[in-house]
Amino acid sequence: MAYVRANLFYEREQWRKPLLLSVGFHGLLVLAIVGLGYVMQPRATSNWGMKEGEAVSAELVNSASIPLPHPEETKSIVATENKGVTQTLPQPKPVETEDGISIKGKVTPPKHIDKPVPPAHVTPHPLPTPVDTAVPYGEGGPVSGPYGSFSTASAKGGFSFQNADFGSRFSWYVQNVNRVVSAHWYQVEVDPRVTNAKRVYLTFDIDRSGKPSNIQFEQRSDIPSLDLSAMRALQRIDTFGPLPPDYRGDKVSVEFWFDFHK
Amino acid sequence: MLRRTKTHVAILCFLLWLPLTRVMAQDWIKTGTNRGAPIRLAVPDFKPTGTDAQNDPLLSVFNQTLWSDLDNAGIFEMVAKSFYPLQSPSTPNEMKLDAWGNPPVNAAMVAFGNLGVAAGKVDVQGWLYDAKNPSFPQVLGKQYKEDATPDNARLIAHRFADEIIFRLGGGIPGIAESRIYFVSNRSGNKEIWSMDYDGANQKQLTKHGDIALSPRISPDGSRLAFSGLTKDSWQIMMFSLDLGRTVAFPRNSGDNFSPAWSSDGAKIAFSSTMHSGLSEIFIADASGAGARRLSTGKGDVSPVFNPKTNGQIAWVSGRTGLPQIYVMDADGSNVQRMTDQGYAVSPAWSPNGLLLAFAWVRNYGPGILGGADIYLMDIASRQIVQLTHDGGRNDFPSWSPDGRHIVFQSNRSGTEQVWSVLADGTHLTQLTRQGRNSQPNWSFK
Amino acid sequence: MNNSKSIRIFVLGVLFLLMVASGCKKKENPPPPPPPPKAPTATLSANPSSIQAGQSATLTWSTENATDVALDGNKVDPSGSQTVSPAQTTTYHLTAKGAGGTQEATAQVSVAPKPTPTPTPAPTPPPITDEQLFAQMVKDIYFDYDKAELRPDAQQALAQAAQIIKQKGWRVQIEGNADERGSTEYNLALGERRADSAKQALIQGGVSPDALKTISYGKEKPVCNESNEDCWQRNRRDHFTLLH
Repeated sequence: MAYVRANLFYEREQWRKPLLLSVGFHGLLVLAIVGLGYVMQPRATSNWGMKEGEAVSAELVNSASIPLPHPEETKSIVATENKGVTQTLPQPKPVETEDGISIKGKVTPPKHIDKPVPPAHVTPHPLPTPVDTAVPYGEGGPVSGPYGSFSTASAKGGFSFQNADFGSRFSWYVQNVNRVVSAHWYQVEVDPRVTNAKRVYLTFDIDRSGKPSNIQFEQRSDIPSLDLSAMRALQRIDTFGPLPPDYRGDKVSVEFWFDFHK
Repeated sequence: MLRRTKTHVAILCFLLWLPLTRVMAQDWIKTGTNRGAPIRLAVPDFKPTGTDAQNDPLLSVFNQTLWSDLDNAGIFEMVAKSFYPLQSPSTPNEMKLDAWGNPPVNAAMVAFGNLGVAAGKVDVQGWLYDAKNPSFPQVLGKQYKEDATPDNARLIAHRFADEIIFRLGGGIPGIAESRIYFVSNRSGNKEIWSMDYDGANQKQLTKHGDIALSPRISPDGSRLAFSGLTKDSWQIMMFSLDLGRTVAFPRNSGDNFSPAWSSDGAKIAFSSTMHSGLSEIFIADASGAGARRLSTGKGDVSPVFNPKTNGQIAWVSGRTGLPQIYVMDADGSNVQRMTDQGYAVSPAWSPNGLLLAFAWVRNYGPGILGGADIYLMDIASRQIVQLTHDGGRNDFPSWSPDGRHIVFQSNRSGTEQVWSVLADGTHLTQLTRQGRNSQPNWSFK
Repeated sequence: MNNSKSIRIFVLGVLFLLMVASGCKKKENPPPPPPPPKAPTATLSANPSSIQAGQSATLTWSTENATDVALDGNKVDPSGSQTVSPAQTTTYHLTAKGAGGTQEATAQVSVAPKPTPTPTPAPTPPPITDEQLFAQMVKDIYFDYDKAELRPDAQQALAQAAQIIKQKGWRVQIEGNADERGSTEYNLALGERRADSAKQALIQGGVSPDALKTISYGKEKPVCNESNEDCWQRNRRDHFTLLH
């Protein structure tokens, strides 16, 4: 027995040295690579301006909205005449359907923590739509559902306003919120490893003067960098512009979600 | 930003680093210059109401000004008039949205209305319609009434354009009524002049009689600080726009120039030799009292406050040889150097506090004929992009209040003139043509 | 047999001739390689090569095989002349670039300080005014590009000027200036430094600080307006005026 034990000890010792060596070497390798990356990072200018024309590149900036057919007059709170305005690259756009609630984006902020909508809920009637975000600006239809959306090369975001009428009545304001959030969102903050992320939900209020407040996570995506980049985008914003004068409320509550897919 | 500690992540990070820096540049430029996706906007000519003889000339001024203001705003993609339907609406009754919201026009928004003169007054009604929301199209409906003059037609157009820009531009007010102050020698010697943001209405303000430089308008627009040469020294002087003349301002010993206002109107920073015979940065109350020294650079000039916080000052110092840009806290501490080569002068802080515009000659030397260009630096990351390219000498950038435009001086036309440009380098426009014009300063609102 | 042999020889001979001939042809066919581009030549002369301060000299140059000719950084015609009035001994550089290379030439113009005028033999010479004396003894000094340090000749001149200023009890205004390149505001600060350098030198020479006043005009008061090194040098100066 003593002999056997001695053997076990011996086995263990055998591991330690090469393990240490391996870790040490990998550590050095990491340092070297990170150091190289740092050193080789281009510091200098990049040319911007006339040579590039409209320099704000479309691939980063959102598309204000997606082509939608003209909605018919609807009194229904659901306003499902409108297709769900959001789209993800592989999934075709859902069409008007009676179970419109299931279209991405919400009428009311969900109180439950578990995912309200399964990610694979492609509605059964796909409609031909441009696959990527190359929707020319302004050609999108009105966001006359309660929700707006934007998309960039790898992420889609959507809004829904707590007051469902708000979006149909003041779709221009919803699009405005779109544009402002997209302009303040730094994609590079998201970990480049991320290819697919669970949807992250945030809520915030916009007061009469247009100032956002009360930014909170309703549901995180489990990818810290994505969550953080979404939160930071909202925190950067000073104002969205005053709420429409015809709107009677003191504020609107907005639920804002992000899908990240590469 | 994020700490990466895992090995395989480190490798990925390295590979993606280079393209990421370009993406980063576009991100901060987007935010720093308040850019969002452009909105397709259609603006048919307003129609006349009534048959007054003054209708046509005023209408013409109005339509031109409205179009120009919206085109220059930096947030619209103007749909060319050649696409418009033959019938353009003058009231909501006449508006047929599907003609405007669908191809070929394909506008997201339409601005339309009418103008009429009656009894010496010009009456304008204007609407902004969401072309994609036929159920609730109206975004804005406005009515204006002023005495019937071309200047008022222009003024109403500016106001209507600003209203549209405010609504659709994320709550940032339009600049159509802002003004630019500048130095011009066309009266015989250098004096301070002012003009509309689009170059209209140029008029002389100061009658100092000797060289006047470095105009800086106060945040509330009521007073203009400048440096004027007197018999024996340079002094900071204060011109009252309400009174139309200079008002008392404390004299300091030595030479005092390049004043700058904090955005709350409480403080003035300037360069003075009063202490050591060499130029150093001082700060004083807006009344000129309580001047205190902030820097000790021996060649410090051109201070400018961070307008967002007023907690920092950027300035130019020749303490290491050629002039470079520095930033310090407003109490003089925490000095940081921002540029490290060439000849860098004239810092201008963007209204949201994120960017510095400045004039830079990257390779500067005795035989090299000067070519200075305007550059933008993201203060947080120190990344720089070049704004002007076409050569000549470009200097004295100044930001518009909406953070989307920059006005600067350039000799690219042969003589020193004032030019404006969008912060992405497009819409380059010459604003002055007579005499020599320099050192432009955009109002705070 | 004989026939076939002679035929063979004949054929071989023809072949041989053909080879030789084609070889000869080959020798002639390839065109001679183009002659290497001639190197540019350049000459620069100054006439006269020695002047007194305030006079002018003419620089004359000629070049050959040059496409790009510059005199001290300014593009000029391949041959030409230019008048210059340097304030002090200056070496001018001509650079001629062509397909064959680059050639430089230099010429120097020596500037001797103006000799003080010999007193006229008139029985009662008019007394020299303070202004005239001042202008003679306290002259402009010049600076290097973007610098405020005194050059050795300037230091000498100021040491001498200090003597007469002290002796006469004059009050002096020192005006710093800069050339037209560079920014308005920064040039004001640079002019201050240049004025201050002179002030310090005069104080070291014994002048009381109270007798000295500095001011900067930056690039606002140039003495000439051309965009060339000669004019720029003349503007990078401290000018002195007598205060009453």
